[in-house]
Amino acid sequence: MEHSFHLFILYDMKIFFYTISISILLFSCKKKDVKIKEYVDTWGFEKPSHFPEPDYKFENNELSKQKFELGRFLFYDPILSLDSTVSCATCHAQEHAFADHNVPLSQGVGGTFGTRNSPALSNLAWYPNFMWDGGINHIETLSVAPITNMLEMKESVSNVMVKLNNSPFYLEKFKEAFEVDYITDDLMLKSLAQFMAMLVSSNSKYDNYLKGEVEFTSSELNGYQLFQQKCITCHTEPLTTDFSYRNNGLDSVFSDQGRALITLLEEDKGKFKVPSLRNVAQTYPYMHDGRFFTLDAVLDFYSTGIIDRNTTDELVRGGFNFSSSQKSDLKAFLKTLTDYYLIGDPAFSPPER
Amino acid sequence: MKNIKLTFVAFLSLTLLTVTSCKKDELEEAGTDIVESATSGSLKINLNHKWGMSNALDLVLNSEMIHPMTEDTLTFTTFKYYVSNFKLKKEDGSYWVHPESYFLVDLSNTASLELDFSDIPAGLYTDLEFTLGVDSARNVDGAQTGALSVSNDMFWSWNSGYIMLKAEGTSPNSANNTFVFHLGGFSGENNIVTEKSLSLLTTPLTIVSTKTAAIHLEVNPAKLWHSSPSVSVTNKIHMPGSAAKDMATSFYSSGSSFMVHSVE
Repeated sequence: MEHSFHLFILYDMKIFFYTISISILLFSCKKKDVKIKEYVDTWGFEKPSHFPEPDYKFENNELSKQKFELGRFLFYDPILSLDSTVSCATCHAQEHAFADHNVPLSQGVGGTFGTRNSPALSNLAWYPNFMWDGGINHIETLSVAPITNMLEMKESVSNVMVKLNNSPFYLEKFKEAFEVDYITDDLMLKSLAQFMAMLVSSNSKYDNYLKGEVEFTSSELNGYQLFQQKCITCHTEPLTTDFSYRNNGLDSVFSDQGRALITLLEEDKGKFKVPSLRNVAQTYPYMHDGRFFTLDAVLDFYSTGIIDRNTTDELVRGGFNFSSSQKSDLKAFLKTLTDYYLIGDPAFSPPER
Repeated sequence: MKNIKLTFVAFLSLTLLTVTSCKKDELEEAGTDIVESATSGSLKINLNHKWGMSNALDLVLNSEMIHPMTEDTLTFTTFKYYVSNFKLKKEDGSYWVHPESYFLVDLSNTASLELDFSDIPAGLYTDLEFTLGVDSARNVDGAQTGALSVSNDMFWSWNSGYIMLKAEGTSPNSANNTFVFHLGGFSGENNIVTEKSLSLLTTPLTIVSTKTAAIHLEVNPAKLWHSSPSVSVTNKIHMPGSAAKDMATSFYSSGSSFMVHSVE
C-alpha cells in the first residue's frame, strides 16, 4: 500500500514533470517561431496599428536596408568620439532598452560625467523634439549634440568626417548606401537617424493587451485603470508621453533650469520633458538626474513627495497619496511596458564587421 | 508577411520608376539649358568688409580695430556669417530665383567673399534681394549639406538652429580679454533672419552671355555695436535672445551695411 502510494507519487511527479517540460518546449518553440518569423521577415518601418502617425516619415532620407545597417555600424562605433572610447551604445545599450547601464549620469571621453540621465531610445520617429529640455528639433541633427558635447564624445563633426573618409570600411559602406565616393556629414546623420527611427517599441505586454492578444493579471489591470485615471494626461497612451515640459515638483531650487535653458522663459525653469514610460522597469534610475533608483521610490515621490512651488504642474500638486496596494498595482502595470522584443531584437544588436 | 513583402516590392518598383523618371527630367532640363545658354549669363557679388562709414578702413582679421562709438579695441580672429536666398528682380517685376542659395561668408577664406551665380537669363535687373541668415525652414529640416553642413561649426547642436553670425576675438576692454558673439534665432521674437532688398536703379544690372556682371557690396560689421554695449559690458552671446536680436538687427538692417557700392 505504502509502496504503491510512493510509486503513484513518483508516477504523478513524472507526468507533472513531462507536462511541464512539454509545455516549456511548446511554449518556447511557439515563442521562437514567432520571433524568428518577425525578426527576419518584417524589415522596414511599419507604423504599429495602435500608434498615431509618426512625426518623422523619412522625408529626404528614403529608408533602405543599407542606410539602416550603416547607421547601426555608426551607432555602435566609438570612432564618433575623440579618442575612440565612447559610442552611442555606451550610454544607450540595447539590454537597457537603449538607456545607460543603470547609472544616474553617463560618462563621456576621459570619464567625465554628463549632467542628465541618458534617456531610453525608442519610438523616436514620433518625437517632435529631443532631449530633456527639447532643444533639438530633428532626429537627423540629434546626433550632433552627443558627438560634440565636451562631456560626452568630445569630438568635432569635421574630424569624424576625416576619420570616416580614411576608413576603407566606411567608404565602402557609404558607397553601398548612398552611391558616393566621399563621405559628408549629412549622410552620416541620415544613416544614424534611420537606425534610431527604426527603434520602435510596440511589442510589450501592454501593447499586446491593447491589441486584445493577452489578458492582464488583476493587479496589472487595477494598475492600468489607476494609470488611466491619474497619469495619462502627461503619460498619454500609447506612447506614454504627451511630449510636453512640466515641473513635476522634484525641487524647490533648480540646479538645472531645464526647458528654460532653451526658451529663456522664467515660467519654464525646472521643467523637463515628460519621459515615455516604455521599458521603464529596465531603465532605472529615474528623473532627469537619475535620482530615484526604484519604481517604488518614484511612486512614493508621486504619492507624498511632490514639492509645491508656483511652477509645479497643477496636475501633480498635492500628490496622489497612493495606498500601498495601489502602488503595487501601478508597479505591476508599469512592468507590462517592458518590450522584450525590442531588447532582444538582433536587428538592433551590435553588428559584426 | 507576404503582403508586406509584396508591398515592399511594389514600393521599390515605384521608387525605381520615380527615380528613373526624375533622371529623364533632369536630362531634358540639361538639354534646355544648353539651348538657353546663349541668352543667359553670370554674375559675381563681391563683399567688401569695411570698418565704420566715412574714410573707412577695411576690416581685416588679427588686426586692431577701434570702434567709432564704443571706442573698444577689437582684434577679430573669426568673422563669418550666412547670406542666402538670392533673387534678382527684372524691370517687369518678375524674379530670377537662385536655386539652393546658401553662402557662408568667412573673412579667413578669400574665395568665400565672392559669390558666384550662373545661368541667369539675360536682361536688365533693377533689384537685388537676399536674406541675411538662414531661413527658418532650413533650421528645422534635419541634416543639410554644403554651406549649411554642420561641419562648418555654425550650428547649435543642443538648441537646434544655425549660428547665423560668428564674431570672435580679443579685446583689452573685455574683462576676460576675449569676445565671442554667436548670433542666431529663427522664430518668434528672437528671429533675426532679415530680408534685404537693394535697389540697383542708379546702375541697372545688365546680364549678357558675353561677360560676367559684378555687384560690389559694402558690409559694415562695426554696425553690430551701434545699439549694443561695449565688450566691457557684454563680451559673450551664445544663443538666441534679445541681446542677439539687437546686435543682428543693427548690422543687418542698417542702410549703410550691405550697401551697393558699384555695379559693373
